[in-house]
Amino acid sequence: MSDKKPLLSFNDVHVEVEGKEVVRGVTLTINAGETHAIMGPNGSGKSSLSQALMGHPSYAITRGEAFLKGESILDMDPDERSRAGLFLAFQYPLAIPGVTVANFMRSALQSHRGKDADMSDFRKLFKAEMNALGIDHVFATRYLNEGFSGGEKKRIEILQMAMLQPSVAILDETDSGLDIDALKTVAEGINRFHNDNNGILLVTHYQRLLNYVKPDYVHVMKAGHLVKSGGPELALELEDRGYDWVVGEEENQKVEV
Amino acid sequence: MATNTTTDNPIRELNSPALERGPLWIRDLRKASLESFNTTPVPPRGLHLWRYTDPEKFLLKNDVIDTAFGEHFDQAEEVELKHFEDGTLAGLVIDNGGRQIDVRLSGDLAQMGVVVMPLSEAIESHRELVEKHLYQTVNNTTGKFEAMNGALWNDGIFVYIPDNKTVERPIHLLREAGRANSAAFPRLLVVVGQNAEVTLVDEYAGGAPSTEDGFAYCNAVVELIGGQDSRTRYISLQRQGQGTISYLTHRARIAKGATMLTVPFAFGGSISKQNFGVNLNGEGANSKMVGLLFGTGRQHFDNHTMHHHSVGQTFSDIDFKVVLRDKARSAYTGLIRIDHSAKTCEAYQENRNLLLNRGTRAETIPELEILNEDVSCSHGATVGPLDEMEVFYLMARGIAREEAVRMIVSGYVRSTITMAPEDLQERLSAVIADRLGDL
Ligand SMILES: Nc1ncnc2c1ncn2[C@@H]1O[C@H](COP(=O)(O)OP(=O)(O)O)[C@@H](O)[C@H]1O
Ligand SMILES: [Mg+2]
Repeated sequence: MSDKKPLLSFNDVHVEVEGKEVVRGVTLTINAGETHAIMGPNGSGKSSLSQALMGHPSYAITRGEAFLKGESILDMDPDERSRAGLFLAFQYPLAIPGVTVANFMRSALQSHRGKDADMSDFRKLFKAEMNALGIDHVFATRYLNEGFSGGEKKRIEILQMAMLQPSVAILDETDSGLDIDALKTVAEGINRFHNDNNGILLVTHYQRLLNYVKPDYVHVMKAGHLVKSGGPELALELEDRGYDWVVGEEENQKVEV
Repeated sequence: MATNTTTDNPIRELNSPALERGPLWIRDLRKASLESFNTTPVPPRGLHLWRYTDPEKFLLKNDVIDTAFGEHFDQAEEVELKHFEDGTLAGLVIDNGGRQIDVRLSGDLAQMGVVVMPLSEAIESHRELVEKHLYQTVNNTTGKFEAMNGALWNDGIFVYIPDNKTVERPIHLLREAGRANSAAFPRLLVVVGQNAEVTLVDEYAGGAPSTEDGFAYCNAVVELIGGQDSRTRYISLQRQGQGTISYLTHRARIAKGATMLTVPFAFGGSISKQNFGVNLNGEGANSKMVGLLFGTGRQHFDNHTMHHHSVGQTFSDIDFKVVLRDKARSAYTGLIRIDHSAKTCEAYQENRNLLLNRGTRAETIPELEILNEDVSCSHGATVGPLDEMEVFYLMARGIAREEAVRMIVSGYVRSTITMAPEDLQERLSAVIADRLGDL
């Protein structure tokens, strides 16, 4: 284990939303170079965990710890977490009227680089990444996510990841709403981004995306718990058999009682 | 009714020389207005449109003098002079409180027969037009403070666009109110001929920058006439100093097939009460209002819009946005009136109020007087804080909270700002940036 460099690790994380505990003690470590997938049925708490890690005000981490590159993130505001190297591609990206994609991207990158940092390479970088993701340049001057299709929103999320080059990217249902061509383009974008120095956490209901982005580890989440972990073959098994057969130790115990 | 309901009569004490200005027929109109002002009681607080603002505030304090102007102090003047010189503007009028009115008009406009001149001159040279329209849409019967302007306007501006003429570039009217303890009564009459087209920016600047040395007063009246098939864009920009008590009544009447875009920006004043109204008076008339109010500090705004459909097959739409921070307040009353005989009209109204912090207050009062059933009409209003989800989304990309708020608010007002001519948008954005400067 000594050669592995933990990027994001969390331990016994509990998340509460609207007074309800929806994540109930989740532990995971993502090392540099690794891709993990959390799969699970709808409502199992995958998005809640993702949002809470990013610092969403409605999703409170009530117990446990979380570290990004060894530093606790629990007292950080979302913008600090982002600048520290954490990224979340939203399951439902919001529309921000009147704010163009280009302006937004520029502000985000400027925030990451520092207030007075040189931004003269911005246009070139931005164009190159748009090209790579097959995003028409007209999107640069459109208002962020306003009137975008589901697929367009997801591409723009990946564009943001590519521009910001985070240490750890959590991708929440990035495959949903994509047709097969878009799925391939987005998967290529993720694979291009991934290297030995960063980590990826794919959060998904289906294993579709996993055909194109190969996870090293697959975890199954049910009712707020990670109930099973395995290699990529687990995803295929889930595809075949669904989620019902997976029963965590805790649930086993409950059954016995 | 009592002949004099105000105990000490501010107008008489003011003894304004304006009362004696103009030819006899104008002096008679002024006298009638004065009489009406003196005999009309101060509106009681419960009365329509006066529930949120104390009408006494708009009566001049005894020590207010009728200031002489001539001092050029607003930086907007420099910018707009440049815009005129480089040809961005077709005309520029600098109105120093009605005391001195300087008109600049590009040569081609004069050739087209476009008239932009002090009202006092137009009364002589274009008497027929002026007599036909002045005091027609705003007069004594409108209210006490409209009568006050009707008596005391010193000089105003007259704009006339002849039939079938299109003025491509904007005409900018820059009105500068006086400093503390002064009063200004700007007046504007615009007549847009048949199938004519124009963009007017009517900017109210100057005034007292703070209440430290007392209030500055400004009471303005705007009358606009849109001829058949005419196309008018009228931008009103209120950015007077925060020690100014500001009152404005605007009425437009548009004929068959005419379109009118009214874009009020309300940024200035200590107390600002504005009333924008368009009367759709011919089939196919189309009026759109897109407003933006941004209040800071302890500013108090009371805005009213009215769409009056007096003829059938007319269309109106209002989108009035409000942003408040610090302890600013706003009351917005939006009236849609559709007459009994005005069938198959469409009328829409939306008022959104964005409150940037606790301590601000916004009221929104939709009023519908729809006197026939054969119409399509909707209205909506929201009052609330920033969407924290939007803030989170931007912060999740590394953008600090204050910057995220700035971006979201700037984005929110953007669709209104883009209704203004391009050369003005930069200044409008600067006002917004300034207001969001120290969140
Ligand atoms: N904003 C919210 N308000 C109330 N309940 C929520 C909210 N977000 C999530 N939940 C609840 O938390 C549970 C987990 O939801 P979620 O994290 O979205 O699951 P998943 O992403 O695995 O589908 C569900 O019961 C859901 O209804
Ligand atoms: Mg989810």
